[in-house]
Amino acid sequence: MEPGLAGTDAPREMPGPVLEMRGIAKRFAGTQALDDVSLALFPGEIHALLGENGAGKSTLIKIMTGVYQPDRGEILLAGSPVTVGSAAEAQRHGIAAIYQEPLLFPDLNVAENIFISHQDRGAFAHWRETFRKAEEILGELGVSLDVRSPARGLTLAAQQSVEIAKAISLKVRVLIMDEPTASLSAHEVAKLFKLVMDLRAKGVAILFVSHRLEEVFEIADRITVFRDGRHISTRTRAETTPQRAIADMVGRDMGLLQPRASLPRGELLLSVRGLAREGVFEGVNFDVHRGEVLGFAGLIGAGRTDIGLALFGIEPATAGEIAFAGKTVVIRRPDEAMEIGIAYVSEDRRQLGLSLPMSIAANISLPALRRYLDRLGLIRTREEHETAEFYRKRLSIRTPSVDLPVGKLSGGNQQKVMLSKWLNTHPSLLILDEPTRGIDVGAKVEVHAMIAELAREGIGIILISSDLPEVLAMCDRILVMREGRQMAILDRAEADAETVMTAAMGQSATVDTGARQ
Amino acid sequence: MNFIQRNIRPEQIRELSLLLLIVVAILIFGSLIDGYYTSRTFNRVASSVAIITVVAVGQTLVVLTRNIDLSVGSIVGCTAYFVGTLLALYNDMTPILAILIAVALGGAMGVVNGLVVAFGRVPSIIVTLGTLAIYRGILIEFSGAKTVTTDSLPMWVVDLPRLTLFTVGGLEIRAIVALAVVIVIVFQFGLAYLNVGRRFYAIGSNPEAAELIGLPVRRLVFIAFVLSGALAGLAGFMTLARFGTITVENGRGLELQVVAAVVVGGVNIFGGSGTVIGAMLGAVMIGTLEQSLFRLQISQFWLDALLGLLILLAVASDAIILNRLRALWSRTELKLVARSTDGKPPSPRGR
Repeated sequence: MEPGLAGTDAPREMPGPVLEMRGIAKRFAGTQALDDVSLALFPGEIHALLGENGAGKSTLIKIMTGVYQPDRGEILLAGSPVTVGSAAEAQRHGIAAIYQEPLLFPDLNVAENIFISHQDRGAFAHWRETFRKAEEILGELGVSLDVRSPARGLTLAAQQSVEIAKAISLKVRVLIMDEPTASLSAHEVAKLFKLVMDLRAKGVAILFVSHRLEEVFEIADRITVFRDGRHISTRTRAETTPQRAIADMVGRDMGLLQPRASLPRGELLLSVRGLAREGVFEGVNFDVHRGEVLGFAGLIGAGRTDIGLALFGIEPATAGEIAFAGKTVVIRRPDEAMEIGIAYVSEDRRQLGLSLPMSIAANISLPALRRYLDRLGLIRTREEHETAEFYRKRLSIRTPSVDLPVGKLSGGNQQKVMLSKWLNTHPSLLILDEPTRGIDVGAKVEVHAMIAELAREGIGIILISSDLPEVLAMCDRILVMREGRQMAILDRAEADAETVMTAAMGQSATVDTGARQ
Repeated sequence: MNFIQRNIRPEQIRELSLLLLIVVAILIFGSLIDGYYTSRTFNRVASSVAIITVVAVGQTLVVLTRNIDLSVGSIVGCTAYFVGTLLALYNDMTPILAILIAVALGGAMGVVNGLVVAFGRVPSIIVTLGTLAIYRGILIEFSGAKTVTTDSLPMWVVDLPRLTLFTVGGLEIRAIVALAVVIVIVFQFGLAYLNVGRRFYAIGSNPEAAELIGLPVRRLVFIAFVLSGALAGLAGFMTLARFGTITVENGRGLELQVVAAVVVGGVNIFGGSGTVIGAMLGAVMIGTLEQSLFRLQISQFWLDALLGLLILLAVASDAIILNRLRALWSRTELKLVARSTDGKPPSPRGR
């Protein structure tokens, strides 16, 4: 499809688009988040936007709402070019967004939350009128809330109703909904959809971003798919199917990734049954053997990281059994996990993983610091150095000296320091959470080689990754999560991009669910 | 319980209990100190409270926006000294001009705080800790450690603290006290009924959301610091009138009393909630303690320690008691909201 015309093929009887994004490009340090993307929204349509994590959906939304400025391209409002320099300006243009986590002011009452952002309210907060108008709008929506009570403590669904009331009060022409249903129950989703339909009937253009395909195919008029910052397709609902949308989402070439050679399965290392953390994930069953790489696939928020955090005791599980090397264990704190030989390499290098101002050597020795203390409790820096040098060679960390602060290294080398740090605890189970996110291709290949080598040494590895080709190439088996539930465990032979994505998006027709060991 | 919940918010319970605490404190001091219930005690406490209150009103604005202004004591000291020096030089200056100069000088110091915090993006605790020292340093350098004395000031300034506007039941309401009350009323009204006032609450309650819906966050933070400075300037003038003799040490440590008043008065130190009335009640509590402990001949150091303890207690009770109350309140509210019952677990948070 020609990029310039993409997304303008609207149903004939419709007037011109209310908002049109043309040839938008946005680059962040090192990555092209959006590359010549076009999208048109027509009044009275629900337009779904699909894409994997990192496809560029959020970036586009932030450009529409004035949070980011595009590097190239233009934005047309009702046919004339405009700039959206700030959130206030987006609001003046009649563009509003509702996020997965509603952005309310907990200390202000419901009515104020609806009207606080109005620019033209005059000097006085006319309380009686504010309350009356708020009740009127919520009444129209069929929502009963006490407009005088503070927003603190409202359920997520109630908060979202307030957000929608806010959008209505602003007389929006374009409403962006970024995963509004992710935290709602089925009943609440049905109510939300009724509100969305009402807005559509009033001529509002709605951009609906969701990971739930069944919802998209329930309410969207047109469906656009992004992949890797590019516009892939825009089709009417009648023209497409969930399978076709998934194919568009994942259909990239596998690139340079060579599948890792499979090893004979070692002895059973970790066995998890009925693992759950209340309100986060539940009913998780899987085994990890020595020398095996088990992948955790799924979309952001599916609960993959949460299982990792539970196994490492950061946010302990509230139910279920964990058996490690044949013994039943309870893991309540990270030191208990480390004690039995579990290491967790966090996805969040900056916040959880590394102390950026500290030296490479100090970072690597940190989790196993007890081994480096002499009788007086002082750190034996020479041994610390030797360890750091060992890992520098083994993982080819590119640095002139291990005394350099970690913050000076590139992302890929920081990742290698993280890996060194946890390998130095001599784990038998290594949980890697997004180990290659945000690092360059060369470093990625090296990390993959390292994973393969560690597996050969008999370490069991759990690889949590949103990079589907990576999961497919590296893993012996793939556990697919969706919204806190385990959807499938796929053997390497039966797993491909589409089966994994289908399970991750809840299209369960072709995969059998539950644990299969 | 339902009746209470419908008509009173948890925050108001807090203000009412503080009022009760003040009454209890006064009863205790009354039984310990001979001749406590006299108009003389009232006047002493009231003029002390008036000054703390005016500064606490400004501090409330700043704290509401999730910031803090530690430089107020130095601003009070500076304006008291500079305006005192000016008045000593120009004895025929009109009262209005003198007050305006004090407010403008304090406001200018607030502008510096506000610019660096709001536009320089430096945490306010660091900025105002710095200006606390800088303003005091400038004062000491400028003054050459000399003192403004009562006999150099024009008569109207010396007479001002005893200027009584009217008398209520034997208690004289002095001009300084009336001024503080007017300021409390004006700012309470402004925060409750002006849109710009509500926005102070909004940006402290959820700064990220305020930014995303296009509220002028930086401008509001800047305004809060300027107002805090201007009110501290006014308090500087009141201090000059009250004491007549101003040394370079004047106003030192006032920030402790003011922050204590604000926090004890129920203004959330993390921003977003609290009222000017509450801050005034806090100031009444602090002023009563200060003057009564002085009468009991307990040292100033014990007072400071007590203030520190009060701040800790207030913040701790904020965290514990208020959250409990809120939970109780919102549980009642939840029943009003139709809840779904399809037994699906809530989805995981965005990871």
